[in-house]
Amino acid sequence: MQLIRFIFYRILHLIPTLLFILIVVFVLVRLLPGDPASAILGDRALDADVERINRELGLDRSMAIQFLAFLKSVLTGNLGDSIHLKVPVMELIQKRLPVTIMLTIMASSIAVFVAVPLAFVAALWRGKAGDIAVRGVFQVGLSMPVFYLGLILLTVFGARLGWFPVGGYGDGFLDNLYHLFLPAVVLAFSLSAILMRNLRSAIIEVLDAEYVQFAKGKGIGPGMVLIRHVLRNALISTVALFGLSIGTLLSGAVITESVFAIPGAGRLMVESIYGRDYPVVQGMTISLAVLVSLTFLLTDLVQAWLDPRVG
Amino acid sequence: MKIFSAAALFVALIIGGLQSVTALERGGVMSYGRYTDSMFLDPVLNDANVDIWIMGNIYDTLIVPTDDGKGLKPGLATDWSVSPAGDVVTLKLREGVSFSDGSAMTASDVVWSFNRAKNPDNGIWYFLLASVDTVVATDSSTIQLNLKYSDPTILAALSVFNAAVMPQKLFEAMEGKTDAEKAQNFGKNPIGTGPFMLESWDRGSVMKLVKNPHYWGVGEDGQPLPYLDGVTFEVIPDDATRILKLQSGGLDGAEFIPFARVNELDADPEINMELYPGTRVNNVILNVRPELNGVENPLSDELVRQAMNYATNKQALIQVVTYGVGTPMSSFMASATPMHSGDSPLFPYDLEKAKSLLAESAYPDGFSSNILIIAGNQDGVAVATALQQMWGAIGIDLEIKQVDNASRTEQYRNGTFTMRTGGWTNDIADPSQISSYYAYSPTIDAVHSGWKSDEVDELFEASQQEMDLGKRAAQFARIQEIFNASGPTIPTYETPYPVALRDVVHGFHQIPLGNNVFREVWLDK
Repeated sequence: MQLIRFIFYRILHLIPTLLFILIVVFVLVRLLPGDPASAILGDRALDADVERINRELGLDRSMAIQFLAFLKSVLTGNLGDSIHLKVPVMELIQKRLPVTIMLTIMASSIAVFVAVPLAFVAALWRGKAGDIAVRGVFQVGLSMPVFYLGLILLTVFGARLGWFPVGGYGDGFLDNLYHLFLPAVVLAFSLSAILMRNLRSAIIEVLDAEYVQFAKGKGIGPGMVLIRHVLRNALISTVALFGLSIGTLLSGAVITESVFAIPGAGRLMVESIYGRDYPVVQGMTISLAVLVSLTFLLTDLVQAWLDPRVG
Repeated sequence: MKIFSAAALFVALIIGGLQSVTALERGGVMSYGRYTDSMFLDPVLNDANVDIWIMGNIYDTLIVPTDDGKGLKPGLATDWSVSPAGDVVTLKLREGVSFSDGSAMTASDVVWSFNRAKNPDNGIWYFLLASVDTVVATDSSTIQLNLKYSDPTILAALSVFNAAVMPQKLFEAMEGKTDAEKAQNFGKNPIGTGPFMLESWDRGSVMKLVKNPHYWGVGEDGQPLPYLDGVTFEVIPDDATRILKLQSGGLDGAEFIPFARVNELDADPEINMELYPGTRVNNVILNVRPELNGVENPLSDELVRQAMNYATNKQALIQVVTYGVGTPMSSFMASATPMHSGDSPLFPYDLEKAKSLLAESAYPDGFSSNILIIAGNQDGVAVATALQQMWGAIGIDLEIKQVDNASRTEQYRNGTFTMRTGGWTNDIADPSQISSYYAYSPTIDAVHSGWKSDEVDELFEASQQEMDLGKRAAQFARIQEIFNASGPTIPTYETPYPVALRDVVHGFHQIPLGNNVFREVWLDK
């Protein structure tokens, strides 16, 4: 019951957050220099044409009236049409956002899968060769630019060895996963480095805690101690960090999507900002805000499960 | 011996000739890597090269530009004539043409398409057909255009994408109240008379074209064109990935190869690195208004502009920015433009002359200025950095301002910019379009520079109704002479279209206007 109330209030909090984001994005995107017509027509269009097209788009009206019209259509579930692509924004979001979500899930799964065991290796053999090697490799991961690592993987595993496709998204779910593997590895590399370092420190701290020593003294096997007492307690701060990293992961996806030619939301967002495609920028921002908020909610729930004091 | 050699050569030529015919293979799908996706496949309402340059594969025009971009050849019209007064154009339609859905193309489709294209409420290209008063089908295979005035550009205008023929009935049957709403739905599944038709379009990723079984064109083997079963466009924005995929055999062709990689791909035995002559010109546009933000503007001084031009080492720019691929400009319009004049590079590098010109000007000690470039654009950064050094040598202190394209365009449009990097590609095989934007002040204040020449304005207006080719060429020669000597630009270089094709690809070309032509492509499988 307490959990349901917790979730309910968190979702309730989401409403003012989204409204605030909506207003900020609506105003900010219009405060940027330029307008949709001249952004796309560039040098060739006559001033009269630019004015006519912006008028047709309703951009000659006051910002308040434009916002009210926008709010009205959002409340009816209509995010409008893309100015340049001439398709409903909802259709674009439905196509492009799942791609980025899938990429992010794959990347974070790989990151966790890699970071957790290696954090244990590094923590349990603190200061030894294994620890130094693991930390050394991840130091490289943290400092290597995403596009560079992406190109190396594409060249070696795509072009040379032929194990993976050289960019693209493929057809069908399994083919999509196959195409997303290399970009997910690239995205996971820096995330797993952050998670591993954090978890390693947390494990070292917990290992020295009295309750762990007590558990060992009670005769509980070392494996059980590590999983039930060490991992569970060490994970609390790492889960919070993981949740916060999702936003970073989404922004990293923009570059990864370009390098690997993946038709995701990140690329669409950047192209839409450059083209001043207001409805797409607005729609995508709302969707990403909901996504990030839900991730935070999920993170809080996991934290509450790990540590009942959080709830 | 001589007779024997001649006979051997003759036989070899015959065999070689036969081989080139018999080697032709049909079928297969060509994959082509593009740097970005198309946006809206409507000939009239589109507004970007990403649409324009591939639309000719789906739609046809009555007249088609020749491969060198300077002439015209039959398309959906087999024959045409212009009345002696230049105010009536009569076109004979090709018999038996069908749209890709199998329905017949009629004269009324042509009339409707032209009326839609010339409507000033539709898009931005209506001005190309501004001289057309009425469009009439005099019989089922003859179209007559009655012009408001004699228009020497009308035939070239009929070869431009916006004059493509669309199926009236199918378009009008689309859901939507306005033309724009119907176009939005029609654009999702466009139907034309071109060699290919749209099969599927996964936006931002893959666009698949398949052969139009009803296409009217006939190949070298006497069978209907196209030779290919289809063309698949893959959107790969990253240059390095696009090239990697081409080199690993994942693509048959790739566009927009960065100049830095041209020599490397040229050396690859499996790749043909093509540099198709284009109408792309690159320059720096100067704001030449007497005052900028309330301060006297040095760029308004013609001597200053000439000094800057002479201080610009174009050959060095060509080496640094285009890795030797670009060529010096001999006029403000590209050399592939009809009626281009000028046979030697403009303002060859001469530092001493530059210094003496600046000494003669009102700014002998130099001045500070700034240039707007698109943030992150490598070519722009390279050009601006080089200019900073070159102009520094004559006392001009150049600040480089990086902004995004829309911000730059806004400052350019409202005339508050100082300098900016610029570029242009023609949409029509005629000198009038670039001259109208660059030199004729009423259109957009000579690329928003504030430059004005009464003589150029008069010459341009006269050229728009001059039916005598010789006289018209002389008018454009004089326009170019004036603009090149005193105009508001620093011409830097012309660039071709760099396209890399695997050696199995034959028959592809990109015309100087930019159109990608897949009509006669075949793959050596």
